[in-house]
Amino acid sequence: MSEHAHSSLAREAGEGQGEGHRRPSFVHLAYWFLFAQGGVIAAVLIPAHVLVQGILGPLKIVPVVDQHYDTWINILGNPIVKLYLLVLIAFPFFHFAHRLRYLLVDLGVPAAKSVPAQVIFYGGAVAVTLFTIWLLLTTAPISLG
Amino acid sequence: MGLAWWTRSSHYFWYTVREFTALPMALWLLWFLVEIQRAQGGAKGYYPHSSTGFVIFSVIVLLFSLYHSVTFLSLAGVILHFRVLDRPIPSRLIVMSQFGAWLVASAVIAFVLVYFGR
Repeated sequence: MSEHAHSSLAREAGEGQGEGHRRPSFVHLAYWFLFAQGGVIAAVLIPAHVLVQGILGPLKIVPVVDQHYDTWINILGNPIVKLYLLVLIAFPFFHFAHRLRYLLVDLGVPAAKSVPAQVIFYGGAVAVTLFTIWLLLTTAPISLG
Repeated sequence: MGLAWWTRSSHYFWYTVREFTALPMALWLLWFLVEIQRAQGGAKGYYPHSSTGFVIFSVIVLLFSLYHSVTFLSLAGVILHFRVLDRPIPSRLIVMSQFGAWLVASAVIAFVLVYFGR
């Protein structure tokens, strides 16, 4: 993960401020968890999806589940697949939000540190999460078959 | 420090590329959401991403996502610390286990995507 992000989170959590061992808030712990897990999930899961669904499937090198409606709607109805897709999509967006906000800061956009910017970036991750939940619940009826 | 500071050293450049990897991956996942949403239209309304432009975009995203994976998982040896029988596990072993998990997960994902696509 980004040392920058790590140090900023540690700073926000009150470390190294000469205040003894102040406990980080629950919000910081929750966000740290989302950021770290989002990075791991993006690292471990995304390349295979991009390779198979983004390259091999469209080029017809191998049959891929999303290339035909019947196979795609069948697998989208599986509750385990729905949960997996929520994890695959939602967690990384919290990681992306933090990285992109600090990338803007590093590139000389101080406004990216502001509260409105935080609302936009992290609120965007929350919005993507809520939209994904809605989409997965309304796209295919839940079926174990 | 000017706006182009990240072009002045390869270390800064690759650090910036690493942070930038989030953007193409986010765009690809949004595209993925569109594909899920298209299934709401029924068999007649569904068409998968298959254009040449999408394949080129995916190749670019794959390169960025691989860079994210390699850099992120390599840091595991620095971040994670385990002790077994009061002896620390070497960081190299931790990093290898992370890459092993990545390999296994990728193989399982590819298998499921292809197997259920037949």
